[in-house]
Amino acid sequence: MRCFARVEGILVEPVGHLWAAFSPATGETALLNDESASILEVLEIEPADTTAVCVLLSSDSGIAPDELFALVDGSWQQLTEAGLVRELPVTLNNPQ
Amino acid sequence: MSAGESDITRSLADVTPGAIADALASDGLWLDLGAVTLNVRSDSPVLAVQLKAVYGHYPFIDKADWADAHIRIMQARGLRRWMRPQVVFYCDGRLAFDPFPADSPLPLLEWGANWLVAQRLNDLLLLHAGAVERDGFALLLPAIPGSGKSTLTAALSQRGWRLLSDEFGAFDPAAGVFRAMLKPVALKNASIEVIKDFTPDAVFGPVFPKTRKGRVAHLAASKVSVQRRHDTARPGAVVLPKWQAGSPTRWEPLAEHVLFPALSFNAFNYNLLGEAGFRAAIALVRQCPGWQLIYSDLDDALATINAAWPGIVERHAQVEAS
Repeated sequence: MRCFARVEGILVEPVGHLWAAFSPATGETALLNDESASILEVLEIEPADTTAVCVLLSSDSGIAPDELFALVDGSWQQLTEAGLVRELPVTLNNPQ
Repeated sequence: MSAGESDITRSLADVTPGAIADALASDGLWLDLGAVTLNVRSDSPVLAVQLKAVYGHYPFIDKADWADAHIRIMQARGLRRWMRPQVVFYCDGRLAFDPFPADSPLPLLEWGANWLVAQRLNDLLLLHAGAVERDGFALLLPAIPGSGKSTLTAALSQRGWRLLSDEFGAFDPAAGVFRAMLKPVALKNASIEVIKDFTPDAVFGPVFPKTRKGRVAHLAASKVSVQRRHDTARPGAVVLPKWQAGSPTRWEPLAEHVLFPALSFNAFNYNLLGEAGFRAAIALVRQCPGWQLIYSDLDDALATINAAWPGIVERHAQVEAS
């Protein structure tokens, strides 16, 4: 499974109902919803794949990991393009 | 940065157009706008009169050690000068922009100076906003398309608010304050008559009927605004104005997630400043409460702002005391 890490040096701040996230990699700022901000918070601990992120978010929110899977899996592209996460070259289950 | 003023006892209003023209034709005229000083040279036969009309309260400085930018507004050469005379804008020796008609050096100077400020002053976060001050706090009016921010900024500046700028909310992140970028307010089309009706004794320069932005006239900054152009202002509040024909005045609080993009994504140099810009914008959103102001009646809009302002100042006083 694909594994993602939080880009070093990003800044995330709450702004009203959203979150403002600055990426030093792109120099851009993105406005994020709570779910995307939560994913970034989980990745602050260590790099993770979709399943691991879902398990951690589930323990926090009480929502079953299966129900979170599509949401988390669908967030990677936006977070990657915003320069907030990067995909690691190896998977967690099969490090080479 | 302030120029070393050679003669602070005289303003442009105190000297003849000939003296201004002589300065423009020799070492230049230094225009100290507060956060920036421009050196302007020109061979235009009409620029001196136009500058005297709208920069009348500014000190007449024809010798100084420093300018942040050197501008020349020169008559265009070549055969066409006989058919359709034009003026061109040089900055630090380089030609910039398409030429303007020869009778319109002031709009070219104003437009070019704004462009230069937006390019150069990257020690400041340059919000695209009107900015006025009262009680030591800045009120920002971000430029959302159709907002009429220059009209409202001009109206406030004529009714007891100190004008900082009609174009730049110039925030100094290191000091946590706004600085003045004080130039005449550029009003366009119907806004010219709106402000002339609103304040019949307002001082305007000539009307330029055919600029690329339509009809343009420049409203002179008040004497007190010019005298206090080096005074800073702490972040106070943000108002997103929206002129809507026939609408009753509506004053609605705005959440931070609306204010943040209105300030940062609308700034001239937010992306350029990177992390410093992000931190500055977050600091402003934390400090400044915001409102949407929808209005059609200018007097009523100002009354609404004036009624809310003491509460805003009180809120800042409580935060500072805590």
